[in-house]
Amino acid sequence: MLKGAEIVLQCLRAERVELMFGYPGGAIMPLYDALDGSGIRHVLTRHEQGAVFAAEGYARVTGKVGVAIATSGPGATNLVTGIADAKMDSVPLVCITGQVRSAMIGTDAFQETDVFGVTLSLTKWSRLVRTLDEIPEVIAEGFHWARSGRPGPVIIDIPTDMLKAKKEFSGPARFTPHARPADAKADGGFTDTIVAMLQQASRPVALIGAGAKLSGAIPELRQLLDQLNIPTFATVHGLGAVPPQSPYYLGMVGMHGTRAANMALHETDLLLVLGARLDDRVTGDPSRFAPHAKIVHFEIDPAQLDRVRPCDLPVIGDLAETIPAFQAELRRHTVTDFKDWRAVACGPDRAELDPRGLAQPTIRFLDELFSRLPENSVVLADVGQHQMWAAQRYRSSSPRGFITSGGLGAMGFALPAAVGVQLAKPDTCILCVSGDGGFQMNIQELATVHRLDLPIKMVIIDNKYLGMVRQWQQLFYERNYAETDLSDNPDFVEIAKAYKIPSFRMNEDVMREFPVSDETGSEIDRFLRSPNPELLVFDCAPEANVFPMVPAGAALSEMLLEEEPAE
Amino acid sequence: MRILNAVSRRGLDMPSVHADAAERDHEITLALDVNPKQIGQLYREWYAIPDVIKVRSGAAHETEWGNAHPPTGVSMERAAARA
Repeated sequence: MLKGAEIVLQCLRAERVELMFGYPGGAIMPLYDALDGSGIRHVLTRHEQGAVFAAEGYARVTGKVGVAIATSGPGATNLVTGIADAKMDSVPLVCITGQVRSAMIGTDAFQETDVFGVTLSLTKWSRLVRTLDEIPEVIAEGFHWARSGRPGPVIIDIPTDMLKAKKEFSGPARFTPHARPADAKADGGFTDTIVAMLQQASRPVALIGAGAKLSGAIPELRQLLDQLNIPTFATVHGLGAVPPQSPYYLGMVGMHGTRAANMALHETDLLLVLGARLDDRVTGDPSRFAPHAKIVHFEIDPAQLDRVRPCDLPVIGDLAETIPAFQAELRRHTVTDFKDWRAVACGPDRAELDPRGLAQPTIRFLDELFSRLPENSVVLADVGQHQMWAAQRYRSSSPRGFITSGGLGAMGFALPAAVGVQLAKPDTCILCVSGDGGFQMNIQELATVHRLDLPIKMVIIDNKYLGMVRQWQQLFYERNYAETDLSDNPDFVEIAKAYKIPSFRMNEDVMREFPVSDETGSEIDRFLRSPNPELLVFDCAPEANVFPMVPAGAALSEMLLEEEPAE
Repeated sequence: MRILNAVSRRGLDMPSVHADAAERDHEITLALDVNPKQIGQLYREWYAIPDVIKVRSGAAHETEWGNAHPPTGVSMERAAARA
């Protein structure tokens, strides 16, 4: 006879769970009571949002399912932002919440919330466990949906009496989904059509999204792009999928994408979308998105097709299957070398920043950091201006090397997510870049970093503003900086020290020299290679802005490259 | 519940909801006043629910559903033809 809590843990082990993140409380206590000896490591964060973001970080960097645990009521509701984040960014996540006793459900009992109802539109699948017998099936089904197809978040809500009750346990269950008639996968018939479209095109481009990483088909993708040799760009979650030194690679596309990428996307007559869902930060004004292009959309989730505008050829399936089929067809044909188009799209006239470093100091600082990172490092960015600067300057070819909250844009993501990433990759340099606003949203996770002695390299880009909102206020609200002033920020260096984490401050003036002084370079090298956690607070100009920028509602070709000069 | 949630989040009225058990599955029938754009949105959202097996429409919007939905890939068209 096993308790329900022990059955849950055995089923989690059967799903190959080794690590989970959580925060205990009343209704989930039986699960915590059974943890010892379960073979699963539990990491205590200091807030449930920290737990779910840490689980996301673990999942994003490994591709495995992240697991977060919380109690009922406020514990469960504190998971909600992370669940929404995982849904938007296709992160495999299973959240297990305690619930009040079955007999008390619906009575507004202490710490009772209908977390199943609260998260209905945010989860890929969820279940309130109703009987002890169904626990193995529910867990097996939850993990199946979290990791299958387009990955996503699952919540399993278990009343505390089910966790305490005992029953004979015959072993973990297996789940076999229904076959869906409309789930037909690409069968190869699409390949000759694409080749014909390529032969008719004069300005083809490729757009790479998160699906490329999720499929695990990075080698195949890179071979395909080398074969095609057409201008290529990536969404923020596609960064790292294409080696940045590739002669046809134009960087990030979208609202803060490179000028070259946005112009090519506006001018193209054939757009190959590989694993991207085409959200509004990528498309700009949907009615003027790629206005001259036919669209071929490679996508695993049919529900993502035709959202912005109907595509001309949907290719439904895993890129790990559809890319090789496309490659095989390409080998049987002679496809045009689009050299003239490449010369325009990838040419020097569309280069962005001056390589000598006339750019603003924060960008110089990020360039210095990134260029000195050990190989295979992982960069996490929080949400805001620093996120876009980091995405613009990220220059690694590590497919899971750049992690951020893209779709939801959840401030406070990076620090706890870095905890999950560092635990998954204990020997890897993890660089966590935050803004002064976002860092304070989960600053309590410094305690987790300290307790586990995780050697995360934390950077705060401190402009003493909610910088991205302030930038919009400056550009579109006549500089009415309503409630974005953070000039009374605490001293982050002293706060880190209170958590027993070494910290220091660097002023942006050191980045005005080009190249940077040996002293500054050495300090950055020491910081990145320290075996301990450390915080670097980088003081930057309050009114530095992110450019290029496509204003909301504008077409990608209408990007702002710099501020309008003051009259 | 997710099926209903997809409707309610768009502020649509649901004058009629009917559910029938069919072996281990359920068949849900909704009466909705929707425009073609909402048809597309609802189809995609319903189809994205993992344990929804099939989505089909009544006669009133058969043309709209038949054209763009389900999303029509090469293989999907063949599947539809076989069906």
